[in-house]
Amino acid sequence: MKINVQNSISASFTTDLSKEKIILETKNVDLCYVPQVRTLTNVSIQIPEKKVTAFIGPSGCGKSTLLRCFNRMNDLIPGISIKGLITIDGIDIYSPETKLEELRKKVGMVFQKSNPFPMGIWENVAFGPKVNGIREKAELDEMVESALIQADLWKEVKDRLNNSALDLSGGQQQRLCIARALANKPEIILMDEPASALDPISTNKIEETIDELRENYTIIIVTHNMQQAARVSDYTAFMMIGEMIEFNATSKLFTNPEKKLTEDYITGRFG
Amino acid sequence: MQELTKFQKRLKFENKVASGLITLGGYGVIVSVLLIFFFLVSETLPLFWKTSLEKDFEISGKTPISIGMDDYKELVYQVYENGIISYYNIKQKKNVKYDTLSLSAGEKIISSSSTLEKDEIAFCTDSGRIINAAVLLTPEYSGNSRSIVPKLVNYEDFYGKESGKSLENLAFDKNENGNKFWVWTSEKKNVFIKIFDLEEDLNYTHKLTELTGGTKITASAINAETEVLFLSDENGEIFYFDISNYESPELKSHWKASNNEITAISFLIGGNAVVLGSKKGEVEIWFQIRNENDDVVFTKTQVFENHNSEITKIVPSQRNRTFLTVDKSGELHLNYSTTSATNVKFDNEKKGIKLVDFSPTADVIIVADDNSKIGFFNLQNEHPEVTVNSLFGKIWYEGYSKPEFVWQSTGGSDAFESKMSLIPLIFGTLKGTLYAMLFSIPIAIFGAIYVSQFAPKNLAVIIKPIIEIMAALPSVVIGFLAGLFFSPLFEKNLLLIVLLSVAAPILFVVIISLWGLIPEDKRRKFSNTWELTFVFIAMVLVFMIFWGISEPLETLFFDGNVKNWLYSNFNIGYDQRNSLVVGIALGFAVIPIIFTITEDALTNVPKSLTSASLALGASKWQTVQRVVLPAASGGIFAAIILGLGRAIGETMIVLMATGNTPILDLSLFNGFRAMSATIAVEIPEAPVGGSLYRVLFLTALLLLIFTFIVNSLATYIGDKLRKKYARY
Ligand SMILES: Nc1ncnc2c1ncn2[C@@H]1O[C@H](COP(=O)(O)OP(=O)(O)O)[C@@H](O)[C@H]1O
Ligand SMILES: [Mg+2]
Repeated sequence: MKINVQNSISASFTTDLSKEKIILETKNVDLCYVPQVRTLTNVSIQIPEKKVTAFIGPSGCGKSTLLRCFNRMNDLIPGISIKGLITIDGIDIYSPETKLEELRKKVGMVFQKSNPFPMGIWENVAFGPKVNGIREKAELDEMVESALIQADLWKEVKDRLNNSALDLSGGQQQRLCIARALANKPEIILMDEPASALDPISTNKIEETIDELRENYTIIIVTHNMQQAARVSDYTAFMMIGEMIEFNATSKLFTNPEKKLTEDYITGRFG
Repeated sequence: MQELTKFQKRLKFENKVASGLITLGGYGVIVSVLLIFFFLVSETLPLFWKTSLEKDFEISGKTPISIGMDDYKELVYQVYENGIISYYNIKQKKNVKYDTLSLSAGEKIISSSSTLEKDEIAFCTDSGRIINAAVLLTPEYSGNSRSIVPKLVNYEDFYGKESGKSLENLAFDKNENGNKFWVWTSEKKNVFIKIFDLEEDLNYTHKLTELTGGTKITASAINAETEVLFLSDENGEIFYFDISNYESPELKSHWKASNNEITAISFLIGGNAVVLGSKKGEVEIWFQIRNENDDVVFTKTQVFENHNSEITKIVPSQRNRTFLTVDKSGELHLNYSTTSATNVKFDNEKKGIKLVDFSPTADVIIVADDNSKIGFFNLQNEHPEVTVNSLFGKIWYEGYSKPEFVWQSTGGSDAFESKMSLIPLIFGTLKGTLYAMLFSIPIAIFGAIYVSQFAPKNLAVIIKPIIEIMAALPSVVIGFLAGLFFSPLFEKNLLLIVLLSVAAPILFVVIISLWGLIPEDKRRKFSNTWELTFVFIAMVLVFMIFWGISEPLETLFFDGNVKNWLYSNFNIGYDQRNSLVVGIALGFAVIPIIFTITEDALTNVPKSLTSASLALGASKWQTVQRVVLPAASGGIFAAIILGLGRAIGETMIVLMATGNTPILDLSLFNGFRAMSATIAVEIPEAPVGGSLYRVLFLTALLLLIFTFIVNSLATYIGDKLRKKYARY
């Protein structure tokens, strides 16, 4: 499948997604935090299923904003207006029929700064299933264990599941947050610069975790670190001033970008 | 370079001054709190000082029949058996004057009995004569000096019915009309009473032997105030006569008060309580109470420390409920009736005791011993009515049918038995606090949750300052409104108020759920002001509906009047100024504190946590419940406790909006008397240094300790919760 998108600063770009199944799609999304000031302009993108997609671009270009549109975390901001269409599995997530809680169960999120709850490790991971109505202790135990295993944290914490999550190291806390998102059995995981506050070793560990998750989940990761994008992602989207400049297979985007702006950015001429 | 160092010097100097001032301020606060604490303690401690008896001076001479001194403790009189009265000047240390009672040759005085005030004494001689006299010690002033002028006044004398025989068990008293009463026995069994009616100028003499059945009478006492005569016999039987009908004294009842012979009887100040002393050394107080059959009967209410030897004398103080008991072995006990306490045991260095008496001011005890020495002892006994037990335990007060916690600090006269149990006051404070907290905690906390988590920003900006202004509302204004406006309003509309307080929250929940039924996207279209308007209209509607139905309901189900219905069916009384009103009024004072601190604590929960929760699919309410509230629990707890502290210490509201009735009853529909209000009301009336004064300081100290504990608890538990949940 080939699509052509008309953009204001850029001419069209082409993305080859013919081999992929599309799980999430945005069409002409405009977003204003403040009336008349567009933070996102006419963003259209298709995210392939069970692949890692990275959003790169200079700081303040709207990567996080776009990411938060996918689980409607922007909704609560007073005065915000969102136009355009965003679908997951072909269903408009902004339609009145969409249940917010179900959407967020389906689309998990890991934040830039790790934010475990001030509770025990087990409680943290079980939080999602619990608020989504699971009461059975055995079932919860199983979900917690599986989520922690997938997040590569099980071995480190299995003997102290009741200890406070806040006693974990920064990298462990972030992986706990990943586990917490995984416990909900989401289809899509949004990660907003998940490693930006971590040391290289922890970052490495997170990247390994992402690598293991790619088989089963669709991951959209925001990063300002191009090496990271190159390392972990299958596809990369480059954004600037609220617009989608180029979206392509990572290998192609980093070696042979279609756009001058993209090339300038990845070669470090600005940003 | 030069300038820089100058500047640095100034900076250093300023730093020093600033840190000095701040340190000073900090220590100043601590020191002043400590000073207040120590001041309260120092005003309170004398309550618990031990009673002490210390010898001041002694004089020698034959043992008198009767002894006394003036109010200023300058002159002592002694009446001897030969009728001579000597006046001893304490400063000059010598007798300054003599008087004589006219006795016939060889006649000797053998006993005496006087009124409590000692303004008239009856002497009994060995020839069977009774001689009444008064020894008056009147202060006279010339210039700056005062001298006590002694004077003997002779009143009537007469022979007991069977003259020539010596008389026993003489008891004399005089009432406020000047009517006099004498009782005596001859041959230990024949009982006589003589009554002199001043107004009619008539004398009545009756022989009561028929009524007592001729048993051996061992002691007698008259209480002229209530016109009661008590006689005891060798079998421990008490005969209780009503002598108010001068023509025929009536034996009201007689009962066995003791298994042992009763050897001494005396009425205490106020004339209600009578002290009995037995041959085996028992000392007991009896007074009249109403029993379950509604009969008034004398009942043993207090038992004092046993003497282990026959009680020979009981001497009541004319100032308070202190009385002295002396036994045959010469030991003296100083007892206080209200507290059942024996405060001093005194053996007078084993010299025996022939005669004891109080000075008129009751701060000197005069003891004549067997060795012809008369000792004057200073008595330190400022607050006998206050003990730990009387403050916090049940006490059997005169006229009460059982031991109780009572606060009734002042009465009309000296004879009033002050009742200073702190329990009703502590109870009152806790009761007021309880209802205030029941009312304010839900409102304040739900309000804070709404404002910090759900309300639109523009609304929160309005609500917060309004509630903060509420905190600035002087409590006297709240108290005034509650006492004078809301109390009558509540009384009139009791059913409506009760209905509203039960039904309003339920209906509110119903309304909110109805609101929730409207699809979210449609709801979104309404602005938040609409949401509020909707709620407001609904509440007005609810109010109108209840207003409309409350009166028909009252007629239909409650016989037209809920108050009467409550009273007749459940025996629940309704006071106009009651705990319901106070709880609400006090709640109004507490709400701003709890609200503000809770709101802050909730708002301070980091957004990253709520975002995490929401992103996991939790609803807004689940997020509040599972993440925000636990994380803010430390702050919320502190808020509640601080509110509690405010409610405990609050004065004006409880003063004005309760009836200040010191009762122990949790009912919502009657009042209470709080510690703070009691201090405010009673401290202006309390004589400085008196028992009430000091008990009020103790109350203040307790309040201080209460609030101190409460606030420390708030800090401690708040900290713990914060450490546990608020490490973000
Ligand atoms: N809650 C908000 N309200 C108003 N403006 C916001 C908000 N969040 C982000 N912005 C603005 O939107 C722009 C894009 O922000 P963001 O999406 O965080 O960029 P990025 O993640 O690419 O660095 C920035 O200019 C930022 O200031
Ligand atoms: Mg960002």
